[in-house]
Formats: sequence, structure tokens, C-alpha cells
Amino acid sequence: MADVTLRAITKSFGDVRIIKGIDLEIADGEFCVFVGPSGCGKSTLLRMIAGLEDITSGSLSIGGREMADVEPAGRGVAMVFQSYALYPHMTVRDNISFGLRMTGHKPADIEARLRRAADMLQLTHLLDRKPSQLSGGQRQRVAIGRAIVREPQVFLFDEPLSNLDAALRVQMRTEIGKLHADLRATMIYVTHDQVEAMTMAGKIVVLNAGAVEQAGSPLELYHRPRNLFVAGFIGSPRMNFVAGTAAPAAHGRIEVVLGDGARVLLDGRGATVTAAQPVTLGIRPEHLTAGGGGLRATVRLAEYLGSETMFYAQLADGSGIAVKADGLAKAAAGSTLDIGINPAACHLFDKDGVAVIHGDLTR
Amino acid sequence: MATHRSSRWSQRRLAPWLFLAPGALLFLLYVIIPIGQSVWISFYDWDGLGAATWIGLRNYADLLDDDSFYTSLRNNVWWLVLYLLAIPAGLAIALFLNQTVTGIRLYKSLFFFPFVISQVVVGLIFSWFYAPDFGLLPRILGFLTGTETAILADERYATFGIIAAGLWPQIAYCMILYLTGLNNINPEQVEAARMDNARGFAMLWHIVLPQLRPATFIALVVTVIGALRSFDLVSIMTAGGPYGSTRVLSYFMYEQSLSEYGTAMGYGAAIAVVLFAIMLVFISLFITRMLMQERNA
Amino acid sequence: MFPRPIQKSPPWLQLSYKALLPVALVIWLLPLIGIAVTSVRPSSDLAAGNYFGWPSRFAGVENYASVFQNSNIGWYILNSFKVTIPTVIGAVGLSCLTGFALAVYKFRLNLAVFFMFVAGNFVPFQILAIPVRELTLRLGLYDTITGLVLFHAAFQTGFCTLFMRNFIKALPFALIESARVEGVSEWKIFRHIVLPLMRPAIAALSVLIFTFVWNDYFWATIMAQSADVRPVTAGMNELKGQWKVAWELITAASIVAALPPVAMFFLMQKHFIAGLTLGATKG
Repeated sequence: MADVTLRAITKSFGDVRIIKGIDLEIADGEFCVFVGPSGCGKSTLLRMIAGLEDITSGSLSIGGREMADVEPAGRGVAMVFQSYALYPHMTVRDNISFGLRMTGHKPADIEARLRRAADMLQLTHLLDRKPSQLSGGQRQRVAIGRAIVREPQVFLFDEPLSNLDAALRVQMRTEIGKLHADLRATMIYVTHDQVEAMTMAGKIVVLNAGAVEQAGSPLELYHRPRNLFVAGFIGSPRMNFVAGTAAPAAHGRIEVVLGDGARVLLDGRGATVTAAQPVTLGIRPEHLTAGGGGLRATVRLAEYLGSETMFYAQLADGSGIAVKADGLAKAAAGSTLDIGINPAACHLFDKDGVAVIHGDLTR
Repeated sequence: MATHRSSRWSQRRLAPWLFLAPGALLFLLYVIIPIGQSVWISFYDWDGLGAATWIGLRNYADLLDDDSFYTSLRNNVWWLVLYLLAIPAGLAIALFLNQTVTGIRLYKSLFFFPFVISQVVVGLIFSWFYAPDFGLLPRILGFLTGTETAILADERYATFGIIAAGLWPQIAYCMILYLTGLNNINPEQVEAARMDNARGFAMLWHIVLPQLRPATFIALVVTVIGALRSFDLVSIMTAGGPYGSTRVLSYFMYEQSLSEYGTAMGYGAAIAVVLFAIMLVFISLFITRMLMQERNA
Repeated sequence: MFPRPIQKSPPWLQLSYKALLPVALVIWLLPLIGIAVTSVRPSSDLAAGNYFGWPSRFAGVENYASVFQNSNIGWYILNSFKVTIPTVIGAVGLSCLTGFALAVYKFRLNLAVFFMFVAGNFVPFQILAIPVRELTLRLGLYDTITGLVLFHAAFQTGFCTLFMRNFIKALPFALIESARVEGVSEWKIFRHIVLPLMRPAIAALSVLIFTFVWNDYFWATIMAQSADVRPVTAGMNELKGQWKVAWELITAASIVAALPPVAMFFLMQKHFIAGLTLGATKG
């Protein structure tokens, strides 16, 4: 078992810098998820930790050992690939034991590890099948089994669930979670799906354009996003953003005037603004209510999901706003909707997109 | 800033060269180096046994005064131009056979058959087919026109007779390339085009042929190379005759340097260099295109 | 599917299509059918001018027997096998290695080496002929089976490398990375992961190279003199000169000479076509 530390890690292809200096600490036994839009460098970063990509500069240590110059096999890591990378000509048994056989482990030892992994993943009855005879979920488990038998210090997962259908994805999510609880190993998991990140992670690292936007626990990222990018990326449906101007008000409060003239009075929580400072107000759809004072908008589309109703509406200045309302709420397209706004849940971002006020409801 | 380039993992740096070494060395020895040697030899007067004398570009100057060279060159152009007919002909047969009726697989195999047979046998078959007095073709021509023509003995027709023999397997080759291409056409595109009311030739031109471009490229490569490599059929069917009228560069070179009486190594090498230069134009075109695909991959 | 499936056409068109198929085939193979029939004609038919009618009797047995008795064709065929089989093993074996190297490793000269193989594979034989014959003479291998095999194996390595490299490139690269993470050595990755997956490519190339080398005529002519080296293609040209107008023998010998690659084609048709049409579908 081991912690993973990244110090000023960069990666360039020619003149193009893909990874722009990443510092990160992943504690021993932590489940860390790298999340971000496609092309953000999350898979590249994982492959650099695995040793499949060179590190241009910076240092990487696993369990206190510097690893930048160590071969993949010497790093004590095991990787589960997006495509599973099962060897099509080998049985499940051979797939799982291949690496051990090739690196000179004793047959008895291999057999013991194989049994243990197969039991843990319910693969015992499938050991003599070829990958082509397995379902998607079974293939996934074989790929995980191949990682387990190596008894690595760190497990690396590269979007392992993206080839599965929705139901299976939910099931495998819990299975991997259980595996983490059983093995207590450090796991690093890459995904573009923020729901996957929220449900599985102990720590989420949000990456964008080769840099870390924010790292923290799922709820920390949800309640206290550091900037517009993280605020927009974490949470579903997405946070609403409305442009406006802020000005200091009495008792340390801040008054925000939105584009359509509506006013929202926020608790300043120690933050200061200058008069008529341009800002972006962020508020999640689940923190708005249909009915009640505050904002007035025209309904463009209503989605009745039974458990809830989603209204997609437009403010007078043309900006869009989504409201997650009670399942019984009703409003026809074109009608006017009064939207209630909870000032305590409002986030405020300055013109550089940096959070000035967190709408953290847990406080 | 410490950089960790691939100076590590020596195994992975050395490995490709170890894997390459046997094949690459043999290929260098037997293919790449001999090309340079041939160019070198072409500047010498050499009978293959005695001492060689440097004569600079004399061999090339002599070529320009040699009628046989122009005959060969002209025939090579005919080969190249007429061989290209194999591409549309192959496409036509492929379209004809691209159906699913009982036994069609066997038909496809049998249509492909001529390509499997060696050119020597193809040459013999067509020699028999063209033979005066009893050959099948003179009989048919005799029946149609009233005069039997001995094709391979007639300077006017001999080269075209040989080219026709060469086209037979070449058409089969292009056909199989197009059959495979047709098999891999995206059926939804064809269906979408049908909804757009494209049919017949419009469908072929706008929808099918663009999807067959990889097949067309390979057909073009193998046909051009095949045309310029023509040697076997000329040797078997006419040995360059009558009166040297069916010579092509490859056969002309063989006569000068490699046959029983051919000892003009320098002169033959010069002919080979000319043929190589012509081919190099096409090879460069092909390689450029393949390189562009590699870059895009 | 294009053209439109014939099943969707009116019945009369379907019927004419099915009738046209065998007619077209017979016309296409007319020269071949002609020599097949000639090879079973008695020589008296040819003397009497019966070239196209039904053979007056079936003389296949005596013609084919006579071909083997009156010529070295049996030897020539044996020689062809002796040249072809080691060449296939050599070229396919070498190109498994070169193809792996070029498909799996990134190194500066990768594309240059790859295109050296590709370009070399396209050159005219004549530019190689004089130096290769000199080299073979100097190695003391002129007019030997080994001399022919070495050249053919070297030359065919060009095409085989192109083929193998593209085949391995199409395999999922994660297979190799996965093994690397597991600490498997490069040689074992080649031996245990890539090589087993190359079986279809090896089969396809083997039949293809067998046919190419069996059918070679140019090198057989310039590198072999004696009857115990000369392959059947060069042998056929000699027999043609020897038998002149005995077409029943020439045609029978032609069929014998063509038989091994033809048999190979019909037995391994799928592989043969897969090999020939590599790249005809994508790229």
C-alpha cells in the first residue's frame, strides 16, 4: 500500500504542453477520481503514473520512491484499460495469470492468487472461457482480476465503465467500491462522468486543459466550487449562471443586480466588492423554486419527470435559467414563471470566474 | 527542470533494432544496395568478366542513338496505358458478380482464376490461343473478317496481343480488389442515396466509387507496377520478336546483359536505370500518398 | 448493397442473369478451357486438323504420362518446391519480426525504414539483376537452390513487412501496454501475445508468397542453369522450345506446372484473398 505524490508534473508533445505542472497528493488507501471533459489530460496523467507515457519534467513518487525513471512493471501499479485489453487467444485463467507466469512466479503461488481473485469476482466458473464468450460485465471483471492478482500498491482505472450499458455501469460502480473497501488499496480512477466521480470518490480531482481546477471531497466540490469551471462541471443538472453587477450594502451584505433588473441580497460572509463590480451569480436548479418572489421568467420548455418537474425558462435579458421544481408543479410553455431564490445557496464569481462567495448550505 | 526523456528503458530502445536486424540487413544486401550498384555499373563499359572501364554517361548517350531503346520505350508506354483498362474492366466484372445467387462464390473464384496461374502458363495459353492455322482467335477473326491473322508474327499486332494476354490476369486481380471493396461499402449510405433518388450511374459515381477509393488506389498501384514489370509474357510469347518489335525495357535489358549472349553489363545497367527512373516517378507518388495517410492516422 | 440485388428485379431479368453467368464464365476462361481440352487430345487429332471438335478419343493419360517420361518436369516441380517452401518460411518469419518492430515501437527512423521496405518492394527486377547475380556468384551460390531462396526471401520481406506491420498496427495497442505494465519482457510480448494473434496474417502471407515465388520466371531464368536447380517456370520455356508444335504435350505440361498454386488457391481461398486485398477496404 502506498501514497502517490505528484510534484510539478508536466508533459509536452513537441511544443505542445499537454500537462501543465500538476501538484497532487493521494493518500494511502484513498479512492481518487480524475474527472474532466475529454481532452483535459486526465488519461494522459494516469498513463504517466502507470509509466506508459514519459514525464517531461517534475517528480512522481509512489510509496515514497521516485518513479519517473522506473519501468511500468517496477512501479507496483496495475492498470485496468478502457478496452479491458484482454488477450483474445487466452482463456480467462491464462489472461489473469499471464503476467505472473511471464515474470517467474511459482505455480503454487500463481494458483493461490488466481483462486482468491476469481472468488472475489465470482469468476471461478468462467476460468476456462475465452474473452469472446463473456458478457461485457464479465470481461470487465476479468480485467479487474488481472489487476488484483498482481497485488499492486496502486490500482489505476482508465474509464473502465464507459463500454457498459447504464444498468451494468451502476452495478459495477458498487462492485468496484466494495473491492476498494475489501482491498484497502490506493485507487486512481479516470472518468468523464461526474456522476461516477461523485458516487465513487473519496477525493475528486477536476482537470481542465492540463491543469488541476480543484481537488477535494465530492461534497466540498459541490458546495464550495472554487471557480466557474468546477461549479459548472460538478452537479447535475448544471448550475445556472446569470450575469449582473454587485455593490456593497448595509451590514456587510452584498447586493447583486441581475441583467433584467432583479435584485438579490446576499450575506457577504466577509467578502468585499467594489461598487458596480461585474459578477456572475451561480445558483443550482435544485435551489430554485417555482413560485415565490425573486425572479420572473418565461417558460420555454417543461419536462415532467413525475418525481420532479424541470422548467427551462428565459429571463427578460435573454439568459436561460433551469428550475428543478416539485413534481406537481405545472406551467405551459410561453407562460410566466415566478422563481423563488434562496440567497444562502447563491454562489458569486468575479469577472475572472473565481468564487467570491460560496453558496454553501452546510454551514 | 529535469527531463526524463526515453533515455531510460534501454530494453525498449534497443528492442526495435534487434527485431529489425535480420530482415532489414538481408533486404539492404539484396535490394537496396544493388540499386546503387546498378547505377554505378551503368557508368562503366564492362563485359561481366574482365576489367571495367569508366565511360561516364556514354552508355546513356548510346541509348539515345539506339532504335531498340525507342521501340522498347514506346512499347512500355503502350503497356502502361492499355494496362490501365484493367481497372474499369475489373470494376465492371465485380459489379456484375456482386450479387447473392446460388453458386456465386464459385463463380467469383473461377473468374479470379487467371491471376493464380503463372505468367509463363498464361503466355503459353495465349500463344496457343493466337497460333496461326489452328489458334482459336485467328479462326474467329477468319470467320468474321475472312482473313486469318497470325497475331504474334505480325509487327503491327504482336505487342497488343501480348498486352491482351497480360490484361487477362490483371483484370482478375482488379476484380477481386473491387469485390472486397464492394463488400465493405456502408449499406446505409447506399440506402440513404436511394431515398434521395440516386440510381444507376449516378449512384455508382457519387456514392459507390468514392467509397471504393482505397480499392482503386491499390488497383492503380499494382496495375502500374505490373505494366512496367512486364517481362515474362514478352519472353515466353515472342522473345522480343518479330524483329525486336515487342521489346520492352525490361526485356531489352535482359537481352543486353543477362541472356546467353548478353555481356553488355554497363549498357544493360543503363537501361535498368532508365526503367527504374520511370518507376520511381510512380513509386514516389504512391509513397507520398501512403505517407499522408500515415500522418493522418 | 450495390448494384441493387437481382432478387428485387422482375423474374425474366433474374433468369437472364442466371443464364448469363455461365456463358460469361466460359467466354472468360475460353483460353484455359481450350488448353485443357487440347491436353487430352491424341496427337493424331492435331495432325488431322481437329483442333476444336470433340477429341476423337481421350488421350489424357498418355499425354500426361509422356510429359513426365520425356522431360525433366518432375525434377523441375521438385525444384520449385525446394525454392518456394524455404522462401515462404524465411520471408514470413523475418517479416513477423520487422513488422512487429515497425508497428509497436516509436523511434525516429521508423517511417523511413518502413518506406524503405515498401519502396524496395516496387522496384523493377532488372535494376537488381546484375549486382544480385554477382553477389550470388561471389557467395558461391550461383545455380543453387540456396542462392535463389536467399534472394527471394530477402525481396519478399519487403511486401511481407508492409503487410505484417499494418496487421499488427490494427491490433489494440492496449494489449501490449497491458503486458508492459505487468512486467512482461518485449520478446515475451512478441512471442506470447502478438505472434498468436498473427496467425491469420501468417496464413494469408504464406499462400500469397508461395504463389508469387512459384510463379517467378525472371530469377529462375537468370540464376539457375542446371536441371537439378531450374524451377518449373524456367523449365516450361525450355520444353516449349523442345516440343515446338506438340501442343498436346505443352498444354499438358502447362497444366501440371500451374497445379500447385491453383490447388493452394482453392484450399486456402479465404486467406489468399484476404492477403491480396489487404488495404482495399480502408485507408
